[in-house]
Amino acid sequence: MNINVTSRGDIHVLELSGELDYHSSPELREKLTELTAKQAPKILVNLSGVEYMDSSGIATFVEAFQKTKRYQGRLILAALTATVRGVFEIAKLDSIFEIAPTVAEAAGLLGARA
Amino acid sequence: MEKRFELIATSEVLSPLRKELRQLLTSAGWEKKTVEEVLLVVDEALTNIIRHAYQGQSGKMTVDVNISDDKIEIVLEDQGIKFDPTQVPSPELPRQKPGGLGIHFIRTIMDQVIYEGDKVEGNRLRLVKHK
Repeated sequence: MNINVTSRGDIHVLELSGELDYHSSPELREKLTELTAKQAPKILVNLSGVEYMDSSGIATFVEAFQKTKRYQGRLILAALTATVRGVFEIAKLDSIFEIAPTVAEAAGLLGARA
Repeated sequence: MEKRFELIATSEVLSPLRKELRQLLTSAGWEKKTVEEVLLVVDEALTNIIRHAYQGQSGKMTVDVNISDDKIEIVLEDQGIKFDPTQVPSPELPRQKPGGLGIHFIRTIMDQVIYEGDKVEGNRLRLVKHK
């Protein structure tokens, strides 16, 4: 799992690639916790490079999502691969999270300036 | 086609096992969606062994895979603390708290989930997926 964190205005963008499982999810949790601890208002997670995700990955996003809600922040997941989307669907979480088809649309939802 | 994987109970083995299992199932002609779902199930079951049966301590686990044209059968065994995942209540969905989804994935994806812990010293879980 590779995690690249960048900023685009007030949006923190996490670009993930590789596989997200019980072994790799602690690293993602650490990055997301850093952002939620400082109450980052807008977090965009680009999942286009994630070919595999298990319940550990889902749990990591659920935890971050709950934290952002507590301080009225927003967490948007973008560009899910079919396999990852399928995992969200089995968990019935595709209707709970904000999910955008592309990174550009996610940025638009977060009010990014062109 | 039958294959046995003998593994150390640590999270580092999960990714290499998935890679090998993906190749086996794909070369046996199973479609990508089913392959990925079965990989998820094996991953979740092994994660349960690492977390609950061995509780982070070292131990061994085996995965026996039997693949035919119309059925995938997987048997997982460990020598850890007794843990019967079939007795864990189903979570209420959508679950808005972290955790508790692994067993839901196993039950939802597989056609049969049979715990045979009474037949071994530790745990044995038999998982079957039909085409």
